[in-house]
Amino acid sequence: MPKRSLAEQLDQAVQALLDRPGSAPSSVTAELYELARIAADLQELPRPEFKENLRSDLRRRAKMSTTTVNPIREGFHTLNLYLVVKGAAEVLEFTQQAFGAQEMLRVNRPDGNIMHAEFRVGDSMIEIGEANEQFPPLPASIHLKVEDVDSVYAKALEAGGFSLCPPTDHEYGERGGGVKDPGGNHWYIGSPRGKTHFLPDQRSVTPCLHITGATGCIDFLKQAFGAEEIMRHQTPDGILLHAKMRLGDTVVEMSEARPEFPAMPANLHLYVADTDAAYKQALAAGATSVREPVDEPYGDRCGGVRDPFGNWWWVATHIKDVSS
Amino acid sequence: MAFPRRALRKEADERLLVEAAQADPARFAELYESHFERVYAFIARRVRNRQEAEDLTSEVFRHALQNLKRFEWRGVPFSAWLLRIAANAMADRWQRVARDHAEPPPEPPDEAAAEDIERRALLYQLVDTLPADQRRVVVARFVEEKSIRDLAQELGRTEGAVKQLQFRALQTLRTRTHPPSKRGAPGGRRAHA
Repeated sequence: MPKRSLAEQLDQAVQALLDRPGSAPSSVTAELYELARIAADLQELPRPEFKENLRSDLRRRAKMSTTTVNPIREGFHTLNLYLVVKGAAEVLEFTQQAFGAQEMLRVNRPDGNIMHAEFRVGDSMIEIGEANEQFPPLPASIHLKVEDVDSVYAKALEAGGFSLCPPTDHEYGERGGGVKDPGGNHWYIGSPRGKTHFLPDQRSVTPCLHITGATGCIDFLKQAFGAEEIMRHQTPDGILLHAKMRLGDTVVEMSEARPEFPAMPANLHLYVADTDAAYKQALAAGATSVREPVDEPYGDRCGGVRDPFGNWWWVATHIKDVSS
Repeated sequence: MAFPRRALRKEADERLLVEAAQADPARFAELYESHFERVYAFIARRVRNRQEAEDLTSEVFRHALQNLKRFEWRGVPFSAWLLRIAANAMADRWQRVARDHAEPPPEPPDEAAAEDIERRALLYQLVDTLPADQRRVVVARFVEEKSIRDLAQELGRTEGAVKQLQFRALQTLRTRTHPPSKRGAPGGRRAHA
């Protein structure tokens, strides 16, 4: 039998180590002993990509620590709706006519459709983009706080909205009516009345996550983003009728989908202090990655996840101010 | 007894590096380059799980960057401060995930363990100095745990040639970590250990 080369003998020892991690080098000749010990130590060799990624992460953090940029982009709140719809331009026009929305930014695609636009309704910013294959339409359910429900409702119908329910006084302290816009978004136009469920600091626009498994989503928001539960109203058999959660300076509402009122998960833009940490925490809480965090040219670091209830979360930290 | 000039020089250099990073966090990168392998070697030996070792190493350096201004130079090396943070991070994790764990939580390394960490940290740094093909074989075999066959296919070489590259890489690392005069007898403790 031909004698095996030293390289062959060493590989056999290496393979034995790899097959039984943490084991001592197997019996090898004196000549190979030290090489096998080195091989044993190399089993804990760090991944080069890990060293590189951590280096970049620390560089970014070091940079952030020397600048005093507000982690929320100017004009935005902690939580912001991002409407992804078919016919984004039409929806934007609708909001201008119906709610007096003020267009702040519009970037079109070469085909003339809106790639990204930002508009203000009352004290809130909403973003909008034309749906495509990568980001399919996801009409949202929105609670819009106004002074005069009836007049806004009438304007919304004039602007091409479809009535979901005419303004009515509800026992939970709200006069409210609903309209569907040309992109399929549901706008619940409401005004506080008497002893109301509206929170004193509730903003003009409140995203309503009308989803299947809403109570699970409450837990997800707590675990993933540290949301605070403000109130929960459910049927005796545990079906969630209405809940309010606070995320930073914004409130989000939640309710369980029903056959007559199917689920409407949303696309949300959430500002956090540390995108990477929040992204990781969201994955640990059960979300799936849409996109790992990257530095965006407009001055945000942003990553995307989808939660188990169908909502898309764009988790961002504003890291530098960029002139437009 | 010879005056340990090199040790003093090293300490003075490190002190300058730490003070520079305390004044300007961008300079923390230099401390990271000097200590990454050391911290990783300390953690990896204790957790034996790559993902956990990476999470903890990240935690240590992020904590160190954030709290660098609190570090005071009192003659204790910066590495000891980092390893103390690492020991605390591991102890925290120990308590979180295994309250009923029979083993005691990790402590900062004693002298013998510190030597072991230094030896492995140096080894990991030296991997970066290998010729590209040898480095690729080392990373593929020991980090990615690729088989010789898959690696031969990837590199377009014969399996025998890949084994030779692996052999030469380990020989180079042995020569660079232990100059011939310092090598001990097989199976026994090395002269300098």
